[in-house]
Amino acid sequence: MSSPSPGSTSVGTGVSDRMPLPALNKAGHVAHCVRCLDGLPASLVEMDASRMAIAFYCLSTLDVTSMAERQISPTDRKSWKEWIWDQYAEGGFHSGPFVSVSGSDTAHPSRGGAGVVASAATAPHLIMTYCALLALAVLRDDYALLNRAALKCMVGACQDADGGFETMPGAGDADLRMTYCAFVVCALLGDWSCIDLPRALSYIQRCRTYEGGYGQTPLGESLGGPTYCALAALHLVPADHACAPQARLQRAEWHATVRWLLHMQAEALAPVGGGGFAGRTNKLADACYGFWCGAALAILGAGDLLDAHALGAFLAQCQYKFGGISKAPGEHPDPYHTYLSIAAAAIISPDPAWGLQPLDPLINATPETARWAKEHVSAAPPEPKR
Amino acid sequence: MADDTTEHVLYAERPEWSDVVPIPQYENIQPLAPIFYTPEYKDATDYFRGIVKTGEKSLRVLQLTETIIRLNPAHYSAWQYRYETLIVISAPLEPELVLTNALTKASPKTYQVWHHRQLLLTALRDPMPELAFNEEVLKADAKNYHTWSHRQWVLAHFDQAELWAGELPFVERLLNEDVRNNSAWHHRFFVSFENGSKGGTGEGADEAVRRELAFVKGKIALAPNNASAWNYLRGALNHTHLPYSTQAAFVELYVVDAVDADADRVLDLENPPPSQGAQLPCLAAIEFMADVHEARGKEGISEAVKLWRSLAHTHDTIRKRYWEFRIRDAVANTSVA
Repeated sequence: MSSPSPGSTSVGTGVSDRMPLPALNKAGHVAHCVRCLDGLPASLVEMDASRMAIAFYCLSTLDVTSMAERQISPTDRKSWKEWIWDQYAEGGFHSGPFVSVSGSDTAHPSRGGAGVVASAATAPHLIMTYCALLALAVLRDDYALLNRAALKCMVGACQDADGGFETMPGAGDADLRMTYCAFVVCALLGDWSCIDLPRALSYIQRCRTYEGGYGQTPLGESLGGPTYCALAALHLVPADHACAPQARLQRAEWHATVRWLLHMQAEALAPVGGGGFAGRTNKLADACYGFWCGAALAILGAGDLLDAHALGAFLAQCQYKFGGISKAPGEHPDPYHTYLSIAAAAIISPDPAWGLQPLDPLINATPETARWAKEHVSAAPPEPKR
Repeated sequence: MADDTTEHVLYAERPEWSDVVPIPQYENIQPLAPIFYTPEYKDATDYFRGIVKTGEKSLRVLQLTETIIRLNPAHYSAWQYRYETLIVISAPLEPELVLTNALTKASPKTYQVWHHRQLLLTALRDPMPELAFNEEVLKADAKNYHTWSHRQWVLAHFDQAELWAGELPFVERLLNEDVRNNSAWHHRFFVSFENGSKGGTGEGADEAVRRELAFVKGKIALAPNNASAWNYLRGALNHTHLPYSTQAAFVELYVVDAVDADADRVLDLENPPPSQGAQLPCLAAIEFMADVHEARGKEGISEAVKLWRSLAHTHDTIRKRYWEFRIRDAVANTSVA
């Protein structure tokens, strides 16, 4: 990396001269996730369109807390994998069966080729594809059912003329979340030929704002989530790729982004949300931004510049008494905030007693799961280059 | 949500739907995160799958997809299929926009509802009323990210002088209500600096930056501890390549420990002083002055270090490690240079 580094690439050297942190209720958080995997109440019907994401958050929580082995029985493992593969069609994955019209017929024909489908309403979803590939890695699936050519085709078909990526081919709803997902798929495949990388990089650049972060779309306000997506995507581009120089931040950009990210951390004694990260300037802290901003800083080699102890204290306060983590103290927990808080803690390591696996901040998985995904997603015999 | 004043009749019980074969949702024995659907949702989505399978695009599909969308506004397939149907049957889009207005107000944080608006507006090509509707939605939540993105899309997509013309007064209205609304500041930056010559006012870049610097300094004077305004000041200077030192006389007024009671004898309009009762010193001003000194190179470094130390140890301890990094970084760079 040509950007200046703050001297050390390690993150989260704990601050010993302060109050010890409360315990992380790992068993409670795992139980919350297992409950959600078992079923969700009708009031959460909006999650129908993102069940695969819930599966990813819950399974990853089990993974980062080292509970995946113990909590997932061989029977669960087998049937969960089957369920995920049931959502596979046309190269990618759906969020769930809510739009599948093929019933129990699991042999979804891949339309491969053009990446065009009769109705975009039944096309697979790029974010859910990312979630499914990672969830399968947590379950140590061998991806034998994955049609790599069709997957590449689907990712390529999601890219629009602007360089951005859509949720589904032709959907016209591009934003940085899907850019990140597309880049992860390319990184897992070890093949970037299915996307127009220079154009994708220029799209990311156009999402940069005067504040130093990135907006969700070009010209949008700086926001923690898209800033993570942008930086992770840029750093996923292999160093030996012809586009690598274009994917690096200039020195001034690096400084502006690190500054903006660190200013998202609320002062420890703030009346609300002290130590936590906000997603935008002048907004309140929310547990999920501990991950989006914390992981973004780690990617930039500046993870040790945030106050890990204060963030850890905030995340500890967001723990719900019956398990699970919520966006702010006193609110109700959900798998999204539970996983991202634990993932943030895994990166910044505010307290060794919390005993979490380390995390690969680019892929958003434990190093072992990330390695598994890379080895097995790319494992198919090499296809002729285009 | 579905209206609960009238009894909802299941599609399975409607004679006019009897020709459609509903397709139940297939789940294997042990699905991940299954949702315990209400009978209404289960029924409507069974019929939706039936329709998608046959590819029917007709008036009644609009009814069915509306039912689903009201039960689950994030059902992206229902939205997508609904739009395709509108186009195929050449349905009038004005009433669809009216319906979407209601759905937008009911679910302003759902991606799909805003995307549907974009599709409709693109087809209808009548963006002017959209800005007024947008402002109305912002009244309920002035920081809703979707609402702001949509507004920026309307301006950039249609790019008409009369659309841009009202934006600065609009932003001022919002900043008068909440001077810390970063979305409004961001929008102001977008309108002032990123629309190129599209504003239709014919003003030059110099004029824009002069106006914006005066504006932001006035707002800082009003409420000095406002990170949005300071980021705007930095952004405006960076954008126009003006050195931070050009603002040193102004920013110095905010580094002191208390408002100087004698300072307002001669009011300097270029450099408005902090309002009475302002909490000083202002962190952002200290940071800004440290940057000014750092830019002076060897001469300024000790002054910059002093300011960073005061941030690290007294005024902004949560970022102690950052300010210490700034010191290390600056010292290393100056000794090399």
